[in-house]
Amino acid sequence: MTDVDMVQLAGHRGRLIDVPDVDIVTAEVIRGAMETICFEMAVYVSRTATTPILNQSNERNATILDAKGRLAALSVGIPQFMLTSTLPVRFALDFFGEDEFCEGDVFAANDPYHGGGHLPDYNVFAPVFAEGEDGVRRMVLIASIQCHHGDTGGGVPGGYNVTAGDIWGEGVRWPAVKVIDRGVERRDVLYALQTNNRIPSYIGDLRAQIGAAQLACERLERLIDRYGASVVEGSVDHMVDYAARRFREEVGAWPDGVYEADAYVDHDPLGNPDIHLHVKITVDGDKLTIDYTGSDTRQEIQAWSTFGNTRGYTVGQIASMMDPEIPKNEGFFDQIELIVPKGCVLNPHPDRPVSAGTHHPGADVGEVIAVAMQHVLPDKAVPQTYKTGIPTIIVGQDPRTGTTFTDHSAEVYAGWCNAGKGMDAWGAQNASFGNLWKATAEINESLYPHIQWGRDYRTDSGGPGQWRGLCGSHYEKEVRADAKVYTYVVGMKYPMPGICGGEPGEPNRMVIRYGSDDEFVVKHTADWVPISAGERVMYDYGGGGGWGNPLDRDPQAVLDDVLDEYVSHGAAERDYGVVLTGTLEDLTLTVDEGATAKLRASRRR
Amino acid sequence: MGYRVGVDVGGTFTDVICVTPEGEVVLDKTPTTLDDQSTGVMNGLALLAERFGRPLADLCGDLDILVHGTTTADNTMIEMNGAATGLLVTEGHRDEIEMRRVHKEEIWDPTYPAPLPIARRRARIPIPERMDFEGNVLLALDEEAVRRGVRRLRQLEVRSIAVMFLFSFVNPAHERRAAEIIREEYPDVEHISLSHEVMARGPEFERTSTTLVNAYVAPRIAAYVGQLQEKLRSAGYGGPLLIMQSTGGVMPPEYVSRRAVSLLASGPTGGVMGAALAASRAGVGDFVAVDMGGTSFDLCLVRDGRPEIKTDWNWRYRYYIGLPMVDVQSVGAGGGSIARVRQGALLVGPESAGSNPGPVCYGRGGTRPTVTDADAVLGYLPADGFAGGRMTLDVDSARAAIERDVAGPLGIDVVEAAWGVERIVNANMADATRRVLASHGADARDLALIAYGGNGAVHAWAIAAELGIDRILVPRAAPAFSALGVLVADYVVDLLRAYVVPLSQVELGRLRGLLIDLRDEAAKELEPTGLTLDQIDIGVFAQMCYPGQNFDMSVPAPEGDALDEPALLDLAERFHDQHERERGFCFRNQQPLLRGARLVARGTTPKPDHFAEPGTEPDADATRTGTRSAYFGSEFVDTPVFDGTRLAGGATIAGPAQIEEPFTVVVVPPGTTARLDELGNYELTLD
Repeated sequence: MTDVDMVQLAGHRGRLIDVPDVDIVTAEVIRGAMETICFEMAVYVSRTATTPILNQSNERNATILDAKGRLAALSVGIPQFMLTSTLPVRFALDFFGEDEFCEGDVFAANDPYHGGGHLPDYNVFAPVFAEGEDGVRRMVLIASIQCHHGDTGGGVPGGYNVTAGDIWGEGVRWPAVKVIDRGVERRDVLYALQTNNRIPSYIGDLRAQIGAAQLACERLERLIDRYGASVVEGSVDHMVDYAARRFREEVGAWPDGVYEADAYVDHDPLGNPDIHLHVKITVDGDKLTIDYTGSDTRQEIQAWSTFGNTRGYTVGQIASMMDPEIPKNEGFFDQIELIVPKGCVLNPHPDRPVSAGTHHPGADVGEVIAVAMQHVLPDKAVPQTYKTGIPTIIVGQDPRTGTTFTDHSAEVYAGWCNAGKGMDAWGAQNASFGNLWKATAEINESLYPHIQWGRDYRTDSGGPGQWRGLCGSHYEKEVRADAKVYTYVVGMKYPMPGICGGEPGEPNRMVIRYGSDDEFVVKHTADWVPISAGERVMYDYGGGGGWGNPLDRDPQAVLDDVLDEYVSHGAAERDYGVVLTGTLEDLTLTVDEGATAKLRASRRR
Repeated sequence: MGYRVGVDVGGTFTDVICVTPEGEVVLDKTPTTLDDQSTGVMNGLALLAERFGRPLADLCGDLDILVHGTTTADNTMIEMNGAATGLLVTEGHRDEIEMRRVHKEEIWDPTYPAPLPIARRRARIPIPERMDFEGNVLLALDEEAVRRGVRRLRQLEVRSIAVMFLFSFVNPAHERRAAEIIREEYPDVEHISLSHEVMARGPEFERTSTTLVNAYVAPRIAAYVGQLQEKLRSAGYGGPLLIMQSTGGVMPPEYVSRRAVSLLASGPTGGVMGAALAASRAGVGDFVAVDMGGTSFDLCLVRDGRPEIKTDWNWRYRYYIGLPMVDVQSVGAGGGSIARVRQGALLVGPESAGSNPGPVCYGRGGTRPTVTDADAVLGYLPADGFAGGRMTLDVDSARAAIERDVAGPLGIDVVEAAWGVERIVNANMADATRRVLASHGADARDLALIAYGGNGAVHAWAIAAELGIDRILVPRAAPAFSALGVLVADYVVDLLRAYVVPLSQVELGRLRGLLIDLRDEAAKELEPTGLTLDQIDIGVFAQMCYPGQNFDMSVPAPEGDALDEPALLDLAERFHDQHERERGFCFRNQQPLLRGARLVARGTTPKPDHFAEPGTEPDADATRTGTRSAYFGSEFVDTPVFDGTRLAGGATIAGPAQIEEPFTVVVVPPGTTARLDELGNYELTLD
């Protein structure tokens, strides 16, 4: 059994140059050029990969690291996931050693216990060589591109085998392999990768990533040729220092203190209840320490977020609480002192399964941080998280084609989006999902035998507050072929929390064979529950939490919400203490100011 | 042949260009009138009449044609002051427009606000009805619900109604019936947009967004065009008015008022069409067109003389527009971009001083240093004003502002600071260009650069050097290039009809019929133009994709009897080939999906022989007006200044040099040669 110390892997890695001697304009120009090259890498994949999940969903993270494995620049697909893309490179650096990082090499890696997040995320990276001032060619940078693939071997197609007993049951592990050795393709390795994946186009997609990394190498070599290796290295130091300075400036403005909170996940896929997260955040001047000591250590549970994954979600949440312009590089997350005891749910002992834990408790890290900080950073504490469990998978025979279909239910719906101070939640998901691009009825109904009857906002499902949480969707999908449903649902017992006196959002609820005489109400998982053609799957997605006391909400805003049916007439009075006269039907609603003031005063007492 | 006039409304100036019966090209500028753009248009015409020494009515009587680029649609979306709009939508899909396929623009910023709604939820009325993906009725249209909904919208004082039913592009029966009911219930509704007419394809978010924007801006466009037509009539003009669309083509008001959304972002396309013509005359097929103005830098890749067309991921003013558009990308880099230092980093733009207050050196109240201020300090601009002489520049104040906001905080001298501002804005523009090229798989080193806009000629050399481009064209008409572009643009009718079916199951009769319908419709649309058949070029395409893909590809298709079974097999092969060419791969063992038929009709318009009146002086030295001290990275060098208006075609000038034109300066750095060609373009060749 291998046991890589990921805390050590993530640790601080010194500067490249003791005293950076690069003018800041050059550093700025090089930063722009590197971010453009990251963008070019991501676009190259979307232009050349063949599977929709790679070329359409935006789930691609391109990064440039320095020779020490420090993140220099990036182009973000999904914020939380990008931050797991540096550690596999560092593992490879440690494992192979600098001597075996050669010009023309390309590596691939996907293993959560060697720095990755979860197995379907494949990282492909390549060293960039250039002549140093001494005339000797050396590794200056590393280009890396990480993409989520549709399969990774293992017991269940798609890489989400949430009941697997260990990591091997979830898929094939590639800690770090050379796919191109000094410019020569390793046919044996690529063939092994291909053989261990169910999707025929997988290897072509991996080649798209290899091509992207090689393109970035060529571009970066040109950049280094133009400016010189030490100037580029000095610029990396400059960028990292700049982000670190900006980060400390933000933390320095936060009130000193120790802030603690708890959060829970309803259960793991086995039904073990109340997975516990605890955080202690210490702000001391411009120093930030985040300590998860006290989080769940039960070893029989099945909800493990690897250290890299925990770190990614932590940085994602912290980033959302700061000036969005601060570059997300090594300087940013090197500034967080992260303490995650080995063996707890947020830093498991090796080889535990991670399919479920990547999302829960992984994502819930954002919630516990926001809850801890709500009273010191009231205007920034918006949990950047979700309460999904895993995507629902529906498998059956498509009567139109006679072939098996696998519907991952990756369509649009709304849920779990908290309000912030001064702003009602809007859209469908929190900002950290901003780059996702989900499918719709007119796309998926031609691909899968189903009808999406609706996914409108559920009235009254958004958490009441001075600013209102987003309503969740009421989603109904009719299957038009006999099928089986596999899922794992959370957020039923612990919905999105209210912040600073706001109320929580409505919980999730999912029913298979909805409206039939034989409804299956999901308690924690559905393990291939049968459903007949013509029956429906129903999801009531949870709402987001509200911000601030609902009694402080502007009555006119409540009236508007009632007119727009985000809030019902009854809930205006019940949840907000706003008395309305007239009817919605006749558009005669008005706020009864006197009765409202009286009711609110009595509630406050 | 009479006079031909192009008028393009920009943020600051309304540019007019006129080609006389003798082929002379006259160009002028007048301030844009924001509240009613037609006032500025008429002012521009009056300026022209004055230049010709004739009364306006006279000139109007001799006008053959007036072509117009307007930003009315864009302004409506910027100010969000369109018509009160309602939506009738398939029940269960009322909130697609808010959910936006989960997209939010700022992924790190949870406080980023929602877009202002075109139709609030109360004005989005769910209607029970449903088609499946093949157009079979799953649930009949609830006509009573439509009636109730329309009455509800009237009660809400809605003036414009969008109808968006799922799979209406496959079977539009329910949308059409809903339109009939709307007219019965609300006879004086200002506008109805049916989603299958606005955008004949899925998916529903894209179509909902496009249809709503169309319904929102259409009444504004109709009112504006009506007003302009009225003014033109009373000025004595009875000829055709043509409006520029974002497809890069022009069409009469009747056509564009039904497709108001196609005017959105049409502004920059004029310049691109002008660049395409200028380039083809100069024998350049592949190039990047760059327009650097006061607040933005617009760029477009043109290959083989054809601008790249954007068909997906097209966001404008926070709404998705699902129609093909000339792919002009815009970044916040212009003469007015503000330079500032933050935590030891020098940032330039996207914040802009615009034209008001503008750069510090304009002396109109601007206090923060801009790119134009750096240009002035480095000696690229005439302190005593452009040859037009309308404005003098306060270089001392510009220098002081750069000293205070940039040089001081960074601890460097003011010239180094100005040069830093220059390098960063040029790198930003080059990076933006590289991103566009990357998206299309193009390499800058294979391309020329065509630069226009007020600041294009000043920065072109630096952008080109950054990108590794060695050939630059700067048209002399550069400052009013969009007006020239709209004048030379062709008529374009772009029509799409859905027919979603695996290619192997295509009913030939149905597809042939669709193509006949498209031809009939195109002929009808083009009738008012008076074009004859030989002036119209028609392309017919099958829209195809692999199952599961988000986007279609337009594959040239045969028609009539030629569209037989073997032709379908051939179509599949052509699709695979085209997919391999454009996307780098194909699946020959996969059955492509047909998504519809598309017809693009282009009607040609007359083009002028040249784009600016040349001078008569073949000897460049004879046009020298003085010397300016300018900085190109190492030290200030004496830079001769020339009067471009006097230069004859063929004149050659070696850098360092500056060539002054009425509204801009062509900066020629050391090691670069500029040559004025016979058509009125400066051609710069970098080492």
